[in-house]
Amino acid sequence: MSGRDQGSRFVLPAVIALSLVTVYPVLSVLYLSLHRKLLIFDISEFTGFDNYRFLLADDRFWNAFGNTAYFTMMSVSLELLLGLGIALLLNRTFRFKGVMTALVLVPWAIPTVVSARMWEWIYNTDFGILNHLLGMKINWLGSPFWAMNAAVVMDVWKTTPFVAILLLAGLKMIPQDLYQAARIDGAGRWSIFGRITLPLLMPVVIVVLIFRTMDAFRVFDAVYVLTGGGPANTTETLSIYAYKVLFQTLQFGYGSTLAVVVFLCVGAISLLYLGALRAEVEP
Amino acid sequence: MLLSLALIGCERSHRTAQEAGTETVTVVFKHGKIAGDPAQFRDLLDRFEQKHPGIKVKDETLPASTDEQHQYYVINLEGGSTDFDVLSMDVIWVPEFAHAGWLRDVDGLLGPGEANGFFPGPLQAVTMNGRIYAIPWYIDAGVLYYRRDLLTKYGRPVPKTWSELVVTAQKITQKERGLYGFIWQGKQYEGLVCNALEFIWSNGGEVLEGGRPVLDSQRNVEALRFMRNLIANYGVTPELVTTAIEEPTRHIFGSGKALFMRNWPYAWNIFDKEGSAVKGNVGVAPLPSFPGNSTASTLGGWQLGVNRYSRHPEEAEKLVRFLTSPAAQKTLALTIGYKPTRKALYKDPDLMRQQPFTASLYGILLQARPRPVTPYYMMMTQVLQPEFSAVLAGIRTPEAALASAQKQVGHILGERP
Repeated sequence: MSGRDQGSRFVLPAVIALSLVTVYPVLSVLYLSLHRKLLIFDISEFTGFDNYRFLLADDRFWNAFGNTAYFTMMSVSLELLLGLGIALLLNRTFRFKGVMTALVLVPWAIPTVVSARMWEWIYNTDFGILNHLLGMKINWLGSPFWAMNAAVVMDVWKTTPFVAILLLAGLKMIPQDLYQAARIDGAGRWSIFGRITLPLLMPVVIVVLIFRTMDAFRVFDAVYVLTGGGPANTTETLSIYAYKVLFQTLQFGYGSTLAVVVFLCVGAISLLYLGALRAEVEP
Repeated sequence: MLLSLALIGCERSHRTAQEAGTETVTVVFKHGKIAGDPAQFRDLLDRFEQKHPGIKVKDETLPASTDEQHQYYVINLEGGSTDFDVLSMDVIWVPEFAHAGWLRDVDGLLGPGEANGFFPGPLQAVTMNGRIYAIPWYIDAGVLYYRRDLLTKYGRPVPKTWSELVVTAQKITQKERGLYGFIWQGKQYEGLVCNALEFIWSNGGEVLEGGRPVLDSQRNVEALRFMRNLIANYGVTPELVTTAIEEPTRHIFGSGKALFMRNWPYAWNIFDKEGSAVKGNVGVAPLPSFPGNSTASTLGGWQLGVNRYSRHPEEAEKLVRFLTSPAAQKTLALTIGYKPTRKALYKDPDLMRQQPFTASLYGILLQARPRPVTPYYMMMTQVLQPEFSAVLAGIRTPEAALASAQKQVGHILGERP
């Protein structure tokens, strides 16, 4: 028996465990998504791709898809920009840097549901501190225009620290002698940033983007607690729609179809990013 | 491994108990958060254990959110779970659970004619095809809270019609600074449906008739338009209601910042507490109606049922019978403030003396109407919530929202047998 065979024997338990906890549920959801399964009416029949055909014509699905895409684009790009700014600041030397780094992390350390409740109060029309500071009476979570943006702001507040810390780690890995050499060559701040910092940080940026885009696309708890999908479904994301169909109306077939579509979208997004990452690492 | 050890442990203790000739059965009772002091509720369960030696009750509290409770029951009952025997259900779940075959038929628990002793609303909500699948435990209904002191100050009567309410609110809020006229619950959630139905019913409107949707009627359009106008045109309801659930509205009214509020009876005990800003100045009345129609309250409240897969159905039934008995309901009313579901208790001298407020709700509770009693309700409400919310937010006209809801509900009821 060769060493290689020995190796696969040792890997086998891990492979089995992983299959049980990831592959089996995924296959099971795929299987369910091809059925019309209504628990309370004891209906379970194979319908092929009917659910997927219905989905393509389902206005509520497209509404949720649009909301999710908007939320993802807005929150991820804002988090990346702000996170990069914070990381660059924290990468300089100044007093109380350790304290600052810890403080920046606070929002990330608060559980999502707690921060959503907190922001619900901040946005409160009557008692909220935001309206108090602005001296206005804006119905943040009740207006179709503001509600989704309010959710984006909350997510940015909560997740920017995560982005900043990852980027800070990336910045620390850039060798200092490159900067010294650049300065001796007389490079200005912007060209150092554009030609050294940014290119060398790119792999980390892509990793951050993978994490954040996938998370943002599956967003559930933050928005669900903040608005419940309202007003009039203007903040209903795909995960919230899938949750309502699955667990509130018990349509396991169509709910699974929605879950599969979320899964496929997230999969496609991560493949795109992984392609970019590979191009970045092996030019 | 640990699990199997634990199981063996259980089995052993079970066996020794059997050998000793005193077999103890543990009945697991799942419920939402019990209001008030949990010790008082435990006392009641201890009384049951004393009355029934050999039965132990383990009560387990589920998360506070009713959506999560619903989800817990659905997942476990679909999986045929035997982890709990008695379950506490929101009034809108019983038809769904019964239709799915998850509840034991408890028709036999009530003696002949006993069912008529319950309020008609909850009784209707637990009955499917003439059989009873849960026993009403406590009851809730939407009521109108008003500021007695302000109405007296301006010499206005308690409004009987919605237009009276608007006029009174406009008059008083013009004089009193920082006072809202009328607040209610308009966030996109189940409570919005409860509120909207009260406007719809009090205009003679309906949602279902003979199992068919009748949502796009003129009466329903008028009711929803009135709700939107309260916010947009009459200046009586602040825009914040479109994100409000019960507690925020209760806070606003409780801090003296609103003249009228629609809410459930629970808020009264809080307003009546020492230190409340509105203590002694709060009155409760039936909700107003549109001219020529009668007031309507949406029925809420909780029912007790027995898990179909329970290993100890008889013991579980005994517990249900005990907790819904007149004596237990009276105790719960006096200690925790749960409103009894048996009509006779509202004439009970102790209750009338100690809880005059509860006794005064009799007329409203008698009229309270359940939301459409159908296993499709949870699907219907998922259609109604966003459509009603769209009307309040001004995204859709009442006509368009109701036409769309009519179509979608028709699809739910028609396509699925």
